[in-house]
Amino acid sequence: MEVIESFENNLNLKCKLQVLSRADGSAMFSEGQTVVLSAIYGPVEVKMQKLLIEKASVESVFKPKSGLPGVSDRYKEYLIKNICETALASALYPRTAVLVNLQEMQNQGQLISCAINAVCLACLDSGIDMKFLFGAVSYFLTKEEELTLTPPINESSVKAMFVFVFNNTKGDVIASHTEGRFSIDQYKTALDICRDEVKKVFIFFKETLLDT
Amino acid sequence: MAEQYKSLHPAKYYRDHLKHDIRPDGRELSDFRPVVINVGSIKTADGSSIVKIGNTTVVCGIKAEISRPKADAATKGFLVPNVELSPVCSSKFKPGPPSDQAQVLTQIIADIVGNSQCINLEELCIFPDKIAWCLYADLICIDYDGSLIDACALALISCLKVVSLPEVSYDPSLDKQQVNLEKRTPINVNSVFVSTTFAIFDDKLILADPTVEEENLCTGTLTIVTCNDELCYVHKPGGSPLVDEQMSDCIEKCMNRSNSIKKLIKTAILENI
Repeated sequence: MEVIESFENNLNLKCKLQVLSRADGSAMFSEGQTVVLSAIYGPVEVKMQKLLIEKASVESVFKPKSGLPGVSDRYKEYLIKNICETALASALYPRTAVLVNLQEMQNQGQLISCAINAVCLACLDSGIDMKFLFGAVSYFLTKEEELTLTPPINESSVKAMFVFVFNNTKGDVIASHTEGRFSIDQYKTALDICRDEVKKVFIFFKETLLDT
Repeated sequence: MAEQYKSLHPAKYYRDHLKHDIRPDGRELSDFRPVVINVGSIKTADGSSIVKIGNTTVVCGIKAEISRPKADAATKGFLVPNVELSPVCSSKFKPGPPSDQAQVLTQIIADIVGNSQCINLEELCIFPDKIAWCLYADLICIDYDGSLIDACALALISCLKVVSLPEVSYDPSLDKQQVNLEKRTPINVNSVFVSTTFAIFDDKLILADPTVEEENLCTGTLTIVTCNDELCYVHKPGGSPLVDEQMSDCIEKCMNRSNSIKKLIKTAILENI
């Protein structure tokens, strides 16, 4: 399996599908220096307590690079679970579960957006029905009030970080996560730029699928 | 009759109300519930507050302990929020280790505190690399009726405003510390954050300050936290997509509300003294 890259893209995205043999869908996705491995199992049998009569229940697990999962990983799981619940056509698989597993491989600041994109590609790879695609973009505001797509090398020079998740149908915001303090205008500017950037992410998704 | 209708067809019951721009509890779509703040009611804590937003009730107590700073941040103290969703607040929660929701909420509150930089952690340090204050902020939900992030954030900030720490003298040569419990000084709170939650109903209607019933029926939520004139947290965990106009509208409402909440916190603290 060859690694698909897109060089003209300043997000520097790379992806490899079907990296795991047992999973229904899997993807190794990297955004700059951040790498996440994701695997989707589903629809599979569901635990009694989590059974939903009218739709599939989504469970997500996020494993950090080292150490035990903590409270911040629970937050990422919650975010990914909610996004998947919105995007997957879960009504087609009642009384089942969809398991979304993520493993952090390397983190250079874009972990959340990278994880979300990896999940979308794994979903596509597994062939599970989806209502729409979702793509995430991270954006950084430095202490010098500059907005940039590439994470600053020095972590302490970041004033704020934005992560936006869009759908590919109308380009509306499905999820938003922020860190740090910023003005309303900066938020809106970041939102507009990310909406343009996410188009490149969707094109990359398409290229990836066409090449496999 | 209305009772039966509500339990049999909850979504339709809401839709019928919302069609007439009114919610079942009598509020308009963008109305907020009344807020009650009480500070300093727990005397054994170093700071405490009780906040009610409609029926949602959260108690916050801050206990200060002396601890050793981390090696990689030798000049910083700690502020550790912890949210507890006890079985008393809703039938959704069972006794035992903290539920996923409680852990997520704890992380969100910790993020808000970190983002807003309301407390300068360096001021909590007593002697670099030796001793520093660790503030344990326990947030306990007594009644769970929606917009819990708002209630927790409000309880925490009003509690921080009334925290006072005893004077500590430290002798580095003998590694000895002496605490003077009689002399207490308040801590500096640089900024006040105010959180506002919105719920998206049927992909288009936006309900401000939702109750738990509304949260369960809704297809998505949006939480915006303002800090002075800036934003410090915009949290939308999946759910229905939002267009930009709706987003800006929510931010504007949030800004307006933050001023009145700030006044309320001030009055609550003044009345306590």
